[in-house]
Amino acid sequence: MDIATFQAYGYFFFTAFLVAVLYGYIYHLYSAQKKGTRDYEKYGNIALHDDITDQPIEEISKTDEIKK
Amino acid sequence: MFHWLEKNPFFFAVAVFVVIAFAGLIEILPNFAQASRPVIGTKPYTTLELAGRHVYIKNSCNACHSQLIRPFKSETDRYGHYSLSGEYAYDRPFLWGSKRTGPDLMRVGNYRTTDWHENHMKDPAGVVPGSIMPAYRWMFKNTADIDTAYAEQLTVMKAFAVPYNAEIPMVDGSKATVTLADTVEGARASALEEAKVIAADMKDQDVKDAVAAGQVPEIVALIAYLNSLK
Amino acid sequence: MENRPLEYDYTVAKWFMLSTIVLGIVGMLVGVILAWEMAFPAVNTIAGEGLAEYTNFSRLRPLHTDAVIFGFTLSGIFSTWYYIGQRVLKVSMAESKFLMFLGKLHFALYLLVVVAVVGSLLLGITTSKEYAEFEWPIDIAVVVVWVTWGMGIFGLIGIRREKSLYISIWYYIATFLGIAMLYLFNNMEIPTYFASGGIGAWYHSVSMYSGTNDALVQWWYGHNAVAFGFTVPIVAMIYYFLPKESGQAVYSYKLSLLAFWGLMFVYLWAGGHHLLFSTVPDWMQTMGSVFSVVLILPSWGSAINMLLTMKGEWQQVAASPLIKFMVLASTFYMFSTLEGPIQAIKSVNALAHFTDWIVGHVHDGTLGWVGFMIMAALFHMAPRIFKREIYSKSLMGTQFWIQTLGVVLYFTSMWIAGITQGMMWRAHDEFGNLAYSFIDTVAVLQPYFTIRAVGGTLYLVGMFLFAYNMYKTMTSSRRVEESELQNASPMGA
Repeated sequence: MDIATFQAYGYFFFTAFLVAVLYGYIYHLYSAQKKGTRDYEKYGNIALHDDITDQPIEEISKTDEIKK
Repeated sequence: MFHWLEKNPFFFAVAVFVVIAFAGLIEILPNFAQASRPVIGTKPYTTLELAGRHVYIKNSCNACHSQLIRPFKSETDRYGHYSLSGEYAYDRPFLWGSKRTGPDLMRVGNYRTTDWHENHMKDPAGVVPGSIMPAYRWMFKNTADIDTAYAEQLTVMKAFAVPYNAEIPMVDGSKATVTLADTVEGARASALEEAKVIAADMKDQDVKDAVAAGQVPEIVALIAYLNSLK
Repeated sequence: MENRPLEYDYTVAKWFMLSTIVLGIVGMLVGVILAWEMAFPAVNTIAGEGLAEYTNFSRLRPLHTDAVIFGFTLSGIFSTWYYIGQRVLKVSMAESKFLMFLGKLHFALYLLVVVAVVGSLLLGITTSKEYAEFEWPIDIAVVVVWVTWGMGIFGLIGIRREKSLYISIWYYIATFLGIAMLYLFNNMEIPTYFASGGIGAWYHSVSMYSGTNDALVQWWYGHNAVAFGFTVPIVAMIYYFLPKESGQAVYSYKLSLLAFWGLMFVYLWAGGHHLLFSTVPDWMQTMGSVFSVVLILPSWGSAINMLLTMKGEWQQVAASPLIKFMVLASTFYMFSTLEGPIQAIKSVNALAHFTDWIVGHVHDGTLGWVGFMIMAALFHMAPRIFKREIYSKSLMGTQFWIQTLGVVLYFTSMWIAGITQGMMWRAHDEFGNLAYSFIDTVAVLQPYFTIRAVGGTLYLVGMFLFAYNMYKTMTSSRRVEESELQNASPMGA
């Protein structure tokens, strides 16, 4: 197998893989939001409540205990 | 899985890198061996020509002039045969340019002469009425850097096996050789010999005097380079 | 520890803010000089025949591009990083002496590189590769600056309080990684002085790639330097500043995440569109063309997300010049990311390539999108950093309209110039001969070059107004309390 063939197969499969991952990601984002397992939109508030005295949206020490 | 990625800066960075590096890996790397083979008749630059190329780069001529003829009738009519990949085999860096404020120069050596360039570089609008190109009069005074050109020749011969002092096949079946001096003094001498041929066709007395005194003004090197573009 | 309340430390952000303004004026001033030189060639010798070498178009052109890219834009990116980074990670640089030191070192090294670049480009020391003109000693210094910045980024992330990384941080990380990869590979070069055993100029180098390969690597870099310099970090800014200034959370955070990955994957493939009809393999040209069109999707994903963030709040656009800047910036982003793919279509590119249309495209993106967004960011940051209100709202409004007019004059004139010249180059008469000599196609552009120069000058005038407004904000504006700084920035009359 010469390099061009290898290149073509590599390109095809990796792109297919990334497309699958991207669609999986889209599905994950919206289904998690709908089922209520994870609220992505709340992260938008990171920009709005960003004073150093504000409560973090997800505190770094606590999140380890949060399930899922 | 996805959520884990969003919270792990390290693995996130790795993922971003994989995604952005992929295109380069596929597009660029495998092409390398193929594209750098010279076509028949393409010679490496002589010391003076390369010094001229450095003058071309120093003054960013490539900001306004391309060296890439696209395969359209209007371009081949105007500039000559369209460009072939192998013709650029010894171009480090490439000088295709991205804007044609002035015309393409890929084959300017076919239809312009030393005399034309001399007049044009002094006063572009005097030769081409309406030209918006600035004059480059300092090139008649500044001295070209022959040593650096020679250093570059040595470097590319060692590192990339550019065929100096070797037989190169020409289109008509003959062989040509571009010689490279053993020492920097030898390179200066051979560049001066070449410069004398160019200066003989020039009118500027200062340039003639400088060459007679063993100096190579930038303009002479530049014209040698432009004449080599064919 | 002491009981003094913890505050964000904006020292480094402030320094980079100053360099953004100064280098912005320098870069744009050089650009305006270039524009007048094209309209009136006599301007080339404006400083006299003796200095013509340093004032003529070709010597100044790389200085213009590099000053606005690596001076103005990059300073703006660094300044906003040292501001946004702390805030969305909820950690102050004052908490780590090491990060503070890195930040200051970053700025100092950056200034050194700027000085070296300006000097070397004026002297004509260049590798000729667009936006990568620097010779090897400067390249090494650039890498050091970049690594310093990277250590600062990941250091700050390492001590953060906010677990999730806000979308802007994603974009900053991508900027860091993308430029690092591109810059390194495009600047692979061998110093000739050392390779030849000490002959010639010590700073000279020769590219490791030749001809077509060199072009391929260069435009993979050149295109993506635009991606990771003019798109990715500017999107990072707008994702923070527009929500913060308007008090509206991003319209769809999920869409912002998707657009991010889409942009990351697609952008890198599009570089081939700079090389259509050249000697690079056909499949790469086609790939570049196709991916350029696909690129509309993730670009518009971000832009539409920004405009929708203003949903129901459009009265703010009328009321606040700061919001105006950002909304117009995202509009220009949409416009520019539609124009680019159109130019990447092969048949259009055959006409547009090598003409002023490309120059017009670059400038509606940079002046309209990058310039406006960076200035808006600085306007938003200034009251928070200096604890003073923005000196003059009416001056901001004036600046907005002057610069908008400038941008419109710029890109409309360049459209006409580019398409006119492209059509004339290819025109044949009834016998199949070329209808125009090259100089005919140059002479016809003179009015458009003049309009463009006027447009550029207007933008520069706006830049001076901006600098004046910022200067007054820093020094003599009314002092404000923390409570006034929540969302909309306080502005004086």
